[in-house]
This record gives sequence, structure tokens and C-alpha cells, in this order.
Amino acid sequence: MAMAAAAAGAGVGTTAGGGGGERSSTRDRLLAALEDLELLARELIEILAISRNQKLPQPGEESQILELLIQRDGEFQELMKLAVDQGKIHHEMQLLEKVVEKRDNDIQQLQKQLKEAEHILATAVYQAKEKLKSIEKARKGAISSEEIIKYAHRISASNAVCAPLTWVPGDPRRPYPTDLEMRSGLLGQMNNPSTNGVNGHLPGDALAAGRLPDVLAPQYPWQSSDMSMNMLPPNHSNDFMLEPPGHNKENEDDVEVMSTDSSSSSSDSD
Amino acid sequence: MDRDYFQCVVWIKFLLFFFLESDDTGNRLRFQLELEFVQCLANPNYLNFLAQRGYFKDKAFVNYLKYLLYWKEPDYAKYLKYPQCLHMLELLQYEHFRKELVNAQCAKFIDEQQILHWQHYSRKRMRLQQALAEQQQQNNTSVK
Repeated sequence: MAMAAAAAGAGVGTTAGGGGGERSSTRDRLLAALEDLELLARELIEILAISRNQKLPQPGEESQILELLIQRDGEFQELMKLAVDQGKIHHEMQLLEKVVEKRDNDIQQLQKQLKEAEHILATAVYQAKEKLKSIEKARKGAISSEEIIKYAHRISASNAVCAPLTWVPGDPRRPYPTDLEMRSGLLGQMNNPSTNGVNGHLPGDALAAGRLPDVLAPQYPWQSSDMSMNMLPPNHSNDFMLEPPGHNKENEDDVEVMSTDSSSSSSDSD
Repeated sequence: MDRDYFQCVVWIKFLLFFFLESDDTGNRLRFQLELEFVQCLANPNYLNFLAQRGYFKDKAFVNYLKYLLYWKEPDYAKYLKYPQCLHMLELLQYEHFRKELVNAQCAKFIDEQQILHWQHYSRKRMRLQQALAEQQQQNNTSVK
């Protein structure tokens, strides 16, 4: 009995010490308080049961236990109040957490939309830039339509890029300068000053083949009659053994028109 | 096909550069010569000829081909009668192509393809005309 009382007292002492020093949770403290109450109540009942039968060796023990019981009860009540308050706070916390969650979701939605918008804008900007680039490019390479049409006429009319409609295999005309044309040109003339002054065109061949009419005018199939030789080739170093640097174009000078005919004609290729 | 003729052509050009560079008339002449030469490159048989004579192995000649690329610019290209030569010129920049041109079969193949392509538009026009004629015939028969 005395030992039980002492144990209850010690238990109370440690609980109080534990409560103060370790900061145990309210639940634990409540449970501890309940245990103490239980112990003390049991003690009291034992003592009362014993004292009914025989005299108490320690008369003051009951009052001691009673006091402890009352004290413990008081503590218990306080702890309960504390628990109720904590419960309310906890409830509020839960509500706030829900609100926070909702806000988080909103923020995430906005983030997604922002990202989408950014993506769309980036695409639009990129495409606009590309368009500007292509506009710039087109402007740089602008050529008058008349010039293009003239050029197209020149290269088609002479059958240089499009075959003549009556072409059959065996026709000596070709999409490139043939042997004879090469010889008739300036390069050929320079190499062959001994041939007849007309154009190196051997009339015997043409007549033998029985195809051509006599062409007496010099034939320079690659120079157009209406073109003035404004252009000069770019400057360059004499030595082609070295890597050529970027060449500079000379200024365009007006030159007298070279009077050559661009009439195309069939020529012997052999 | 007598092509030994053109052996000197290329060497003449090198000499001309030396003599004619500072002279304006000379420059005009050089322009004409280069114009002619670059267009000769459209002739696959001529290219085969050059390849077989080993011109494509000469570094100076290869550099010259690179130099000739200025004909691609519109200011110069408008003087070309055979603009296909520019494509051949571009291909000639590649060593593999230059090596392949030694084969006569390669040159023949290129020649055939060039001629076929050359006939493309006339064939197309003939087909269109045929289609038109057929359509007219159909119209006539349906009217009757």
C-alpha cells in the first residue's frame, strides 16, 4: 500500500517532470493523467476497503491520496480544455490548408496558360522573323521582269534550253555548244588563225552532209546581238597555283556593241 | 571527233591572263574568252576530253574552275546562252565528279540525260496538244 502510494507519487512526479522537460504531446499527457487518476482512485478504494475491516496504521494517508486525486483531477480538466482548444485550432488549420491547396491549383493553372501563351508568341515571333528574312532576301535579288523575259526569250529561241520541236535522233543540235560552235568562237579563232577567215567552218563538211545552207556570217552562238559588253571579268591574281582570293569586280564600262548575230543554226558536230 | 584542237585552249587562257590583265581591251577580250570557255563546260564530251588529258588533276586548273564560279552571279549569268554550264561547273568543284569524268560511259550518260531533259518541254507541249486534240474530238462527237 505504502509502496503503491509511493509509486503513484513517483509516477506523478516523473510525469510532471516529463511534461515540463520533454514537451510530450497533449495526448500523452492526458493519458498519463488518466493513468494517475486511475492509480490514485484504486489506492483510495483499497484504503477505504481496508479501513472498513481494520484500523489504518497511517491515518493521514487517505487525505493525502485524496489531495493528490483532487490535484490530478484539476490537471486533467486543464489538459482537457487545452485539448479542446487545440482541436479547434487544428480544425482551422485544415480549412486553411484546403484554401491553400485551392490557391496552389489556381497558380498552376495560370502557369500552364502562361507557358502556352509564351509558346504561341515565340512561334509567332519566329515565323515573323523568318518572313522578314525572306522579304529581305527577295528584295535583294529583285530583277526587272522585262529583263527576265528577255533572257528567257534568248535562251529558248536559240534552242539552248528547249529542244526544237522537230528534233529527232540524228539531229546534230545539242543543248550545249557543239564542236563546230566551239571552233567558231573566239577561243577557236585564237587557236586557229590559219583557217579561212570566215569562221573556221569548213564548207566542204556542210555541203557534203547536204544539210546546211552556206553560212557566211561569223557565228558566235554565245553572244547576243543586243547586248553591250558592259561586263568585265573579275580581277584575279595570275597565279592559279595559289588559292584564289575573293575577287573584285571591275567597274562596268560602256563598251561599243559587238555586232554579232545570235542566229542559231545546225552545225556539223563531227 | 577531233579534240586535240582544244589542248591548247586552256593554256592560251593562262598566257592571256598574263598579257592582258592591265589592258582594258584585254579585259574585254578575257571576258569573252571566259564566257565561251565556261559555256563549253556544258558539253560532257568536252569534259571527258579534259579529264582524259589530265587537266582536272592540275591544281591550277581546279583553282581556275573555282574562280569561274563568279558566273553564277546574276550580273554575269545573264550573258550565258547555255545556263546549264553553271550546273556542270558546280559539279566540277567536286573531286569525285572530276575523277568519274575520265570514263567515257559517264560522259555518255550525262549526254543522254542532258538531251532527254532538253526535250522535256517539247514533249510536254506535244502531250498537251494531244490531250487538247482528244478533248476537242470528244466534244465534237458528243455534240453530234
